[in-house]
Amino acid sequence: MKINPELLEKIVREVLAGMETEIETGGKSEPSLSNSSPSNPPLPASETVAGVQMTEKGPAARGTDPKEIVLAVSPAFATAFKTTIVDIPHSSVLRQVFAGAEEEGIHIRVIRVYHTADVAFMAHHAARISGSGIGIGILSRGTSVIHQRDLNPLSNLELFPQSPVIDLPTFRAIGKNAAKYAKGESPTPVPTNNDPMARPRYQGLAALLHNKEAGFQDRSKASQELSVSFE
Amino acid sequence: MAIVAGIDIGNATTETALARIEGRNITFLATGISATTGIKGTLANIAGLRSSLGMALERAGFKRDEYKAVDLIRLNHAAPVIGDVAMETVTETIVTESIMIGHNPSTPGGVGVGIGVTILFSDLSRAREGDSVIPVVEAKHDYEAVAAGVSDALSRKVNVAAVICQSDDGVLIVNRLPRVIPVVDEVSAIERVPLGMRCCVEVAAPGRVVSLLSNPYDIASLFELSPEETKQIVPVARALVGNRSAVVIRTPLGEVRERRIPAGELYILGPQGKRTVNVEDGAEAIQNTIVACSPVENIFGQPGTNVGGMMERVRRTMSDLTDIPVGDIYIQDLLAVDTLVPQKVVGGVAGEFSLESGVALAIMVKTEELPMQRLARATSQELGVEVEVGGIEADMAIRGALTTPGVKPPVAVLDLGAGSSDASFMKTDGSVTLTHLAGAGNMVNTIIASELGFEEMELAEAIKRYPLCKVESAFHIRQEDGTVRFFDKALDPGVFGRVALLHENDMLQPLMLPGINVERVRSTRRKAKQEVFVKNALRALEQVAPGNNIRLVDYVVLVGGSAKDFEIPTMITDTLSRYGIVAGRGNIRSSEGPRNAVATGLVLSSIESGSRTKGGS
Repeated sequence: MKINPELLEKIVREVLAGMETEIETGGKSEPSLSNSSPSNPPLPASETVAGVQMTEKGPAARGTDPKEIVLAVSPAFATAFKTTIVDIPHSSVLRQVFAGAEEEGIHIRVIRVYHTADVAFMAHHAARISGSGIGIGILSRGTSVIHQRDLNPLSNLELFPQSPVIDLPTFRAIGKNAAKYAKGESPTPVPTNNDPMARPRYQGLAALLHNKEAGFQDRSKASQELSVSFE
Repeated sequence: MAIVAGIDIGNATTETALARIEGRNITFLATGISATTGIKGTLANIAGLRSSLGMALERAGFKRDEYKAVDLIRLNHAAPVIGDVAMETVTETIVTESIMIGHNPSTPGGVGVGIGVTILFSDLSRAREGDSVIPVVEAKHDYEAVAAGVSDALSRKVNVAAVICQSDDGVLIVNRLPRVIPVVDEVSAIERVPLGMRCCVEVAAPGRVVSLLSNPYDIASLFELSPEETKQIVPVARALVGNRSAVVIRTPLGEVRERRIPAGELYILGPQGKRTVNVEDGAEAIQNTIVACSPVENIFGQPGTNVGGMMERVRRTMSDLTDIPVGDIYIQDLLAVDTLVPQKVVGGVAGEFSLESGVALAIMVKTEELPMQRLARATSQELGVEVEVGGIEADMAIRGALTTPGVKPPVAVLDLGAGSSDASFMKTDGSVTLTHLAGAGNMVNTIIASELGFEEMELAEAIKRYPLCKVESAFHIRQEDGTVRFFDKALDPGVFGRVALLHENDMLQPLMLPGINVERVRSTRRKAKQEVFVKNALRALEQVAPGNNIRLVDYVVLVGGSAKDFEIPTMITDTLSRYGIVAGRGNIRSSEGPRNAVATGLVLSSIESGSRTKGGS
């Protein structure tokens, strides 16, 4: 297998960054899954990351508008992380998902989910409080799910498990298809690329990214509604 | 005492009836059914025959391979062996100079009508105050930039009448403009849109269709056309009927025309000589010629055309299978059905599809007795059981059908199979007239597949066989008759929101075809069944009825695999009731339903012929 020096460097950087945090917090043995005190420094409630401003407005409530779908992002989305695993800026990801839904006449409400870092449960949670019953979950590295509230959490309408092959047109199509499900139409599932080398090439990095992402979860904190503005 | 197996090798299934015969007493022991292997009437059938017979033996309490328990196997004289079905598209729509865009995107932007001159979006900043322009936007421009550019032009008093864009951005652009203008999006081949030409864009409100650009006189008013030019614009207007959005561009030579594809001629040989009919004249003309030539002796296609190729292919396949020289194979019936086939518009700018007319043809070949005898000999050697060829299928079907309670001669039997529709009529004195016609279940599949625009025959078979529903939530479906059904357990997420087929045991099979709805699939399915089965039922009864008068038939029994369909029997019953005929699905031996008629008939007829050939074993 050809070793990609850039990727290797990125992994090394991620590992080193992780070690530093551990050292700073006194080398706690369970940095990522502790319930109350996340090992990562607390995130500011509002932050601008390269083109998108996301402000927390308070706990996310159950919606009643049948024209809305709910998009759940993780605490690190567009804060600690700024791009997906293949360096697509999070602002562009949000913009495309928004555009896909808007083209279909559907509005997206964004929430930040703290209690889990599992994209299936995030999306299912979003679907349960969505007025249309359709939710989307997107992790910082790009892994995405379209969910419906009556399904089991580990079931889904459409799953995009290979984060390295999800590009901007795919994010646009995810927004569009979620909107079509909300309208009761029967969309053709989003065509995705399949790269058999994605797993061997990115698995190490994906694991590190997930470890870091999971470090931000706070099981006692309710999901927060976000106001999103692009600039 | 003897055990006799009647085995009916059909185009799709091989059915067995196993019976014990003592003197003139017949006790039916069991039945078996399995898929036919290979083409009916060839040596490849033996595998299917074994499994069908094995199933019957097992049900009767024998071992699966205890073929020796059977004293005599009677096979049907499978007269029609091969039916081929083909589609011929006979029209195509051609657009020259890209003068219209009528691809019907699902979400165009804005609403209204805009008239102006087409310019590139990058040239919009150079447009002057008062100009009426329609920018043409390639996919490389982001919707924010497009909206900003158009807003800027509008603020400079440039009249941006409408927008034509390549990506799916219509609604996004309109949402960012100070006033609503029509935007047609998803124009895939945008580089072919002529620039600097007068153009009209119309987008209708949701749920409505374009009214201006589908009316030739409105187009004439918009572009100041002369009466002669208006005549030429009619195909454009026609092509845009029913769309939610449309674009018409005026160019010096652009036009839309419908071309008839030379599909070839059919030569039909009858007792009065040869008649010629052109395939592009449509199904009715072909069918009239067939009737005029009846009884048909042979049919040829014009050499070097599609139809000629189809006829020769069937002859060759048939000849390869049976070792009969190509020249001795006679095509004895043909059924043509008009269909509409979605075809890509030639020269279209946005990948438009147009419903072109086509003709589906089913043909049937009459075989000699030779291959059947060969099959009988081979079966006898394989299984070590005496095998005889029993009788003609339709004749056997009528004997089987007579075991249905409530039926007595004179009676007509329609055997609706996969490859052919057979009819026989038995008079009170027991004499039988019969006919074999081309076109049955397989032809319905072909029509469904081509009208809905897919290739997989298994999917067409499923659409033919199962009713439709729309999955409206994870817990309920709306069936095609409008009734709602609830489920206790959540349905599979793969069917959520989709049109699906409702199989037995409530299994749902989602239909993954683009842009379909329940109503369209249902009407296609029903039309195909009407055109093939109802038409063939009338055609067949006309041929076997006394004096060729359908009204002289009192009872019609439907048998065969297609008689098990959930709507074909009711369609036929409905149509025949207008002739005062009692028609319905048979119930062979009060227990088998419409299946097993021929196999049962083969066993029953063994008492008459059996005593002669077997000499009382």
